[in-house]
Amino acid sequence: MKHMTTIAISLAAMLLPATGVAWGQAKGGVIDVATIGEPPTLDPMASTADLVGIVTQHIYETLYTFDKDWGVTPLLAADMPQISADGKTYTIALRTGIKFHDGSDMNSTDVVASLQRWMKVATRGKQTAETVTAIEAVDDNTIKITLNKPFAPLLSLLSLNNAAAIIIPSEVAAQDPLTSFVGTGPYMLKERKPDQFIQLARFDGYKSRDGEANGYGGARKQYLDEIRFVPVPDPNTRIEGAVSGQFAYVDSLPVESFDKISGGKTAPVMLKPFGWPVFFMNTKEGLNSDIKIRKAIQAALAPKDMMLAAFGSEEFFSIDGAMYPQGYKWHSETGTEPYKPEGDTEAATALLKEAGYDGSKPLRILTSRQYEFHYKLAQVAAEYLKAAGFKVQMDVVEWATLTKNRTDPALWDIYITHSPFLPEPSLTGFMSDTAPGWWVSDKKREVLGAFNAESDPAKRIALWPAVQQAVYDEVPAFKVGNFNALAAQAPNLKGVTPAPWPYFWNAYLEAK
Amino acid sequence: MLRSIINRLLGMIVVMAIVVTIVFVIVRVTPGDPAAVMLGPEATAADIAALRTKLGLDGSILEQFGHYVLGVVQGDFGQSIFLNQPVTEALAQRAEPTFFLTIFSLLIATVIALPVGILSAYWRGSIFDQAATTVAMFAASVPSFWLGLLLMQFFAVKLGWFNTSGYGGPGASLSERLNHLVLPALALGLVSSALITRFTRASMLDVLNDDYVRTARSKGMSEWRVVLKHAFKNALIPILTVLGLTAALLISGAVVTETVFGLPGVGNLVVSAVLRRDYPVIQGALLVIAGLYVLVNFGIDMLYLLVDPRVRY
Repeated sequence: MKHMTTIAISLAAMLLPATGVAWGQAKGGVIDVATIGEPPTLDPMASTADLVGIVTQHIYETLYTFDKDWGVTPLLAADMPQISADGKTYTIALRTGIKFHDGSDMNSTDVVASLQRWMKVATRGKQTAETVTAIEAVDDNTIKITLNKPFAPLLSLLSLNNAAAIIIPSEVAAQDPLTSFVGTGPYMLKERKPDQFIQLARFDGYKSRDGEANGYGGARKQYLDEIRFVPVPDPNTRIEGAVSGQFAYVDSLPVESFDKISGGKTAPVMLKPFGWPVFFMNTKEGLNSDIKIRKAIQAALAPKDMMLAAFGSEEFFSIDGAMYPQGYKWHSETGTEPYKPEGDTEAATALLKEAGYDGSKPLRILTSRQYEFHYKLAQVAAEYLKAAGFKVQMDVVEWATLTKNRTDPALWDIYITHSPFLPEPSLTGFMSDTAPGWWVSDKKREVLGAFNAESDPAKRIALWPAVQQAVYDEVPAFKVGNFNALAAQAPNLKGVTPAPWPYFWNAYLEAK
Repeated sequence: MLRSIINRLLGMIVVMAIVVTIVFVIVRVTPGDPAAVMLGPEATAADIAALRTKLGLDGSILEQFGHYVLGVVQGDFGQSIFLNQPVTEALAQRAEPTFFLTIFSLLIATVIALPVGILSAYWRGSIFDQAATTVAMFAASVPSFWLGLLLMQFFAVKLGWFNTSGYGGPGASLSERLNHLVLPALALGLVSSALITRFTRASMLDVLNDDYVRTARSKGMSEWRVVLKHAFKNALIPILTVLGLTAALLISGAVVTETVFGLPGVGNLVVSAVLRRDYPVIQGALLVIAGLYVLVNFGIDMLYLLVDPRVRY
């Protein structure tokens, strides 16, 4: 309870300025932000890593972004697109007077070149390219995207900040890898010393949208002179940095450090819920190519004990089978009956028997200790699976090995990962036929096809439960629950809204 | 003397050739893929394969090895996959914190260990000796990262005298940067001092009862002159070995300590390169570290020749 009160006070204190009270928002100041490490690249097209998105979203902008309710809202686009009646043509008017960090003006040539690079370089861009017939400039300030079939996730894909459809000058768009880091964002790259700091300075030529801030959208104010991202890979050192007050903001802290952070010089910030741990099933090869085995796993697993082992206290997680928690427009309980918080060992054993499993072939769980909670989830899961009659083999490898091995269907049956709640459900890993797990079925094609083809937002919400039903019926993955994320924030840093990818435009330092 | 030096130099070349081969093979047989790490969790197998081709990782191992050796011979360690810069440049950038950390740690270790080791041996069995031995044993058993965290908690968090991590922001002066090295140097220096104390004590005990020490005493020399000039000088060879190896270990980056304190040194570079599978950086860094070990050993061997002219290789 003490935690909940602290969380409520912390959140209230942070949200207060965002509700329109504009006191103390003086320009100036430099903040140090401790991150989990050095981003592998500063080209957000080239990586889906969250860290890349967190840093580079200050440098680059996309045509669209997400508002506080995770709805798509225009950023560099002047407005929402005009979509043709058949859902295949998107005409997008661009904002005018937008400058790049090199002083040049943004126009449709830059946007077309950037989107073409995105379709060539970015994982999400390549997926989109399969549905794109043409991207062309209509005039200096308008572009047109033509699709070969209706594809509703397009706007979400153009909005995401990782594997992002950033807009860069046309001559820079020819670079691969990117060597000039020139965007339109409120902050520009000043200096980067790998493993030491990434220094961003206010871009004086920035043109913010009018109106109020709204999630990642709306007005972007540049109160701070500089934002410095400092890699602090060791979690214990990040905790000590938060307690000592060395940083204005410390990202990604272990939730068990909540009490320690509370007693320090920065206040804990809980993002509740942040995301979901997930067991991906290899539907292509091995034991899990049999749906009965996957169903047996679904019955055997006991999310409550697993989450308790992984996160320590119920204040840091919740048991929830719905793929999106309450509060999200995608929340639905449809199909979640097989999700049993305590597990159902008897049902699992019966399903295994029905599948003809004799216990000779081990169920291989691929996991790592990069994220300790993955490993703890795996340990508890293994015991419940053994109780149901499985022979379990834990393949605990280092993260880089896991990212390699999961692409080979011969090497695993289950692999463990986690994800924030993505604004667009169809972007979730296992929705792609080619993502590790390789879930392909007629049912999936039918329900996901209908969901992706519908461009009316209200109708899409109505179509989503059928997709969730298919996930529970065919078990390409097992959602374990919802978990929270912990960060820490200096008491004088205001205007930061808790978000899965924290951002610091609109943030300011209150005079002490 | 000259022949000894030539023999040692030839040995060094052979050792480095073996190191190049072993490092290349180990790096390539380790599971993991830099392309998968760079592209992130949502990347498809096709994306990963395409990037591997672009990075030149799809050729045969022999082909890649030949290309690598050719580069090394010409002083080109390749281009970092993630840092977008030549490996030599990345290493040069990380040299400063590692160099100063090594110097400070060695200084702390030596200043503590030599007097304590000498006094422990001289007052063998005394309370001082027993206390010094116990503390040294404890310090030798403590992992430097754990001691580092304790120092961090006390001096950085509780007293606020130092930063918990980092190496200064943009435009930080040399003194500001060096200020960040105090705690990691203390952690490393204290742990290293334990080993050097033990060696100094043992080495001094070996010589304190030798005939030439008795002779020096019988000549009426002052006790401290006997201990420092006659005994200590002859006890130096094993101490030099330990000091040299400690220095090499510290130059190699004090991997864990640099990571704990977020120092952008060679050790930190190696750790992040291994985690990302940045092959050129791992290979280049390990080669340089091995080279430093070989050079330090060569230096120690040369010092032996100076300290004890009877030594031959």
